[in-house]
Amino acid sequence: MSFKSAVITFPGSNCDRDALCYLQDLTKGVVYNIWHEEASLPQVDLVILPGGFSFGDYLRSGAMASKSKIINDVIKHANDDRYLLGICNGFQILTEIGLLEGALIQNKNLKFLGKNCFIKKKFKNNFNLSIKEDQVLQIPVAHNEGNFYCDNETLKSLKNNEQIAFEYCKGEFSNSEENINGSIEAIAGITNKKKNILGMMPHPERAYSDFHPSQDGKLIIESLIT
Amino acid sequence: MRIKILIRLKSQILEPQGKVIEQSLNNLGFNEFNNIRQGKLIELDLPDNLSKEEKDQKIDSACKKLLVNDIIEEYEVLG
Amino acid sequence: MNEDLILQHGLTLDEFKIIKNYLNRDLTMEELGIFSAMWNEHCCYKTSKKWLKKLPTENEIVIQGPGENAGIIDIQDNDGIAFKIESHNHPSYIEPFNGSATGVGGILRDIFTMGARPIATLDSIRFGLIESEKTKYLLNGVVHGIGHYGNCIGIPNIGGECEFESTYGFNNLVNAMAVGHVQKDKIFYSKPKSIGGLIVYIGSKTGKDGIHGASMASDVFSEDDEDDKRPSVQVGDPFMEKLLMEGCLELMSLGLIESMQDMGAAGITSSSVEMASKGNVGVLINLDKVPLRQPLSAYEILLSESQERMLAVIDEKNNLKVKEILQKWQIDYEVIGEITNNKRVVFESNNKKVVDLPVDIIVDDAPEYDREFYMPRKRKGKDFDFSNIKLEDIINTLLSNLNYLDKSWVFNQYDSTVMGDTVKEPGQSSGIVKIHGTQKVIGATTDCNPLYIRINPYEGMKYTVAESYRNLIACNINPLAITNNLNFASPLDPNIMGELVLSIDGLKTAAEKFNTPIVSGNVSLYNQTNEIPIKPTPVIGMVGSNQDLKKINSNKFCNIGNKILILGKQLEKNLSPYLLQDQNLASNINEYNDLEELDLDYEKKVADCVLKMSDFKYIMSCNDISRGGVFLSLLKMQYKDMGFKVNIPDPIDLFCEYSAGYVIEIRNEDLNNVSSFLSKNGVGYFEIGEIIKENIEINSKKFDYFDIINNYHNNFEKIIN
Repeated sequence: MSFKSAVITFPGSNCDRDALCYLQDLTKGVVYNIWHEEASLPQVDLVILPGGFSFGDYLRSGAMASKSKIINDVIKHANDDRYLLGICNGFQILTEIGLLEGALIQNKNLKFLGKNCFIKKKFKNNFNLSIKEDQVLQIPVAHNEGNFYCDNETLKSLKNNEQIAFEYCKGEFSNSEENINGSIEAIAGITNKKKNILGMMPHPERAYSDFHPSQDGKLIIESLIT
Repeated sequence: MRIKILIRLKSQILEPQGKVIEQSLNNLGFNEFNNIRQGKLIELDLPDNLSKEEKDQKIDSACKKLLVNDIIEEYEVLG
Repeated sequence: MNEDLILQHGLTLDEFKIIKNYLNRDLTMEELGIFSAMWNEHCCYKTSKKWLKKLPTENEIVIQGPGENAGIIDIQDNDGIAFKIESHNHPSYIEPFNGSATGVGGILRDIFTMGARPIATLDSIRFGLIESEKTKYLLNGVVHGIGHYGNCIGIPNIGGECEFESTYGFNNLVNAMAVGHVQKDKIFYSKPKSIGGLIVYIGSKTGKDGIHGASMASDVFSEDDEDDKRPSVQVGDPFMEKLLMEGCLELMSLGLIESMQDMGAAGITSSSVEMASKGNVGVLINLDKVPLRQPLSAYEILLSESQERMLAVIDEKNNLKVKEILQKWQIDYEVIGEITNNKRVVFESNNKKVVDLPVDIIVDDAPEYDREFYMPRKRKGKDFDFSNIKLEDIINTLLSNLNYLDKSWVFNQYDSTVMGDTVKEPGQSSGIVKIHGTQKVIGATTDCNPLYIRINPYEGMKYTVAESYRNLIACNINPLAITNNLNFASPLDPNIMGELVLSIDGLKTAAEKFNTPIVSGNVSLYNQTNEIPIKPTPVIGMVGSNQDLKKINSNKFCNIGNKILILGKQLEKNLSPYLLQDQNLASNINEYNDLEELDLDYEKKVADCVLKMSDFKYIMSCNDISRGGVFLSLLKMQYKDMGFKVNIPDPIDLFCEYSAGYVIEIRNEDLNNVSSFLSKNGVGYFEIGEIIKENIEINSKKFDYFDIINNYHNNFEKIIN
């Protein structure tokens, strides 16, 4: 049975085309592009909230996108235990909706960060089953507000429920620091308790094609499709 | 009436911009300035004919629903 | 109209007389405003036009040369590439964040107004010396502004250059370049197609931004002027531009637009006048219909440079559909006028005509000057003393000079991989993106060598064009065409005018030899403050392509044990200007020897060999040789745990500049084939050494590898803070 997926486009989303190509090339199934004003989502296996600057990142990144008409159906899709992936701005939107805990605030060095980065798997979840323990992935980041924050209680809970999906780490031969943006415990991505929703700051859709410097981005959805 | 809502990061959250501003002020000789934190101000008009209760209720509702992220922010209505 | 008013509007009294005589009546204030904008250097090129006409602008692949919003070249299969470079110098000095951000916004509009989707940006930025707080402030503001705009709208930045030199202290330069992809049969021009077409306004509401920005672009600053000029800076909204871009591209893909022109310098005035001029038609516009942010007079509406606005002509029958699509994208839209057949530019406000001018006097009959210029004096030359120079000192000096260091601090503030098609990010020989849905790639680079051009403008320009050419060749990209941004000081100084004239001539010579016509560009004059002129800075943006992305060369070492070869002709120590300047051997500009004549045929010959060897897969990695010589090229090629070991009779030669210079990495087993191929083609080479693990060795002397590599990568951020 063919894998069905969808990418939601908000005004200002600029990685929607990249996410569509990612899904089309890797799943070979049906991929829908849904405008934020639509009232309903078709029934699909995976929804991606893409990166970009939805609503200009004005007020707070992802704040206004989280109030879009389509979000009700996104919540229903998640409650049906289907998969939901928020990349960068998408991760920000998921925390604003409340489907994921914590919040993303400004990078600690106060500058936009656009570079290659390295992450490693922390706890197992449906999105990273293809990734071996201790395997380091090279996937680019491009964000101003990628600094993950949550209070101590939430952090304890994330750990107890094994919801931390990825942490930033050092790459081989790289002389840049481990925690690139000041996130608590170098958290680069988390899931919800049921582990069917993943939010991550790095962009797997920029690291999967043969000509990309790394193909590690494939591994993020590989275990969902097979 | 003109409403002013001051929105700040909660005190336990590191506010890096304030630190940098403090550094720069100190470098300029303003050494007595300490503990700087930066927030944001949202100004808006509401109809004059609202009662105080209605006004407060509408503002609180807008803040909860959109203007403020209460995981990381707190707010104060000025004046 | 009194003399002061005329001069304040940037017109000379003679120019005003010409207009008044032509019209045979007094001008309205609004009409004075129009001439102040349209007859300014920035809009009418009155100083440079005579010389720019001499440039080669056509060949079999040029679809659109200079004269439209951007140049367009053919890269086969119905694919066209639109590109242009533009300056936003004066605004960036006054307000670096917004000045540079709106520079990016403007150049992107020039691309998508032609129906091309922008696919890459590059930036060429120049500042004074970093020791000054002002420079630090400008550097931070400019990089922040460029990043802010480009990142939000979602176009990858793939390259550029960043130079620090004292003459830019009060006149920093920001040149923004953009490249876009268009289907050849879906290109949109600014020329209206029919009489009676509706003139429509699309985009942000109009406010007081930038009034007299075009005149400001041509005014020489004096140091106290800043605060007075501050209100004229435009503020950009990249989110609005993203919506505008998507909306316009959608309208164009559905064929709902006849013609389009973005509102840039001189806002609604220049866009409507250009449309009328190109289409040989007239325009009648009702200023009362223009969407406003705040109350504005007719004069202010005409000159406002509010950002993110487009002017378009549509067929009346499409009006409702256009409105519907723009509403989806939350973009303001208003019908404000129509195309007439009387070749006049007419603006109405409050039911009366405030402007009624024949098109020709504004555009075609705008002044063209033949300013006096001097040829540069013959240089005496000098023999420099290299006897006391130690290798370690040369290296340390190099690693303390921002101009040589890894500039990740700059380009990590830009998104270089959005749109998912980036093949080469900034920091390599040239930036490369794939054309979406194909295997084709486009490479682009920006370059300028102001010191060379100051020494010998004609010859120096040849070197600059050759460097761009080599940067593309090194990646196995075939150079195709040029966009240029000529940044100079005041042309009223005959010496500076001479530098302008001669560098254009050098550009012509090199462009003809390389068959890379100039398809677009920009001129920015009067870049000087308090009698300190900038060095002549004609920036070249060169674009090329390769039909197969798999054929692109790496610019970084591939394998330990591989051999390192040098191609090209080294410039002697006495004739390497950057070596002499940066190692503090020459203390003033008069001491430099004249440039050695650049043999363009030899450049071509070596380039052809590099391309062929790339296709044979002999070249594992390649870098061109320029400022910093072979040594800097080797530092740029260093990767992971790979260092280098080289042997050279005189180690100072490692830091000399080159012509036709390339460093190439070859496998041992290919050495014989490479050697015979090069001799068959009459190209000399020097086998300088090999790649080794975690070491740097020059003539058997080991240097501190980790120290050098760390300094190269980290010193930029250390020095600027």
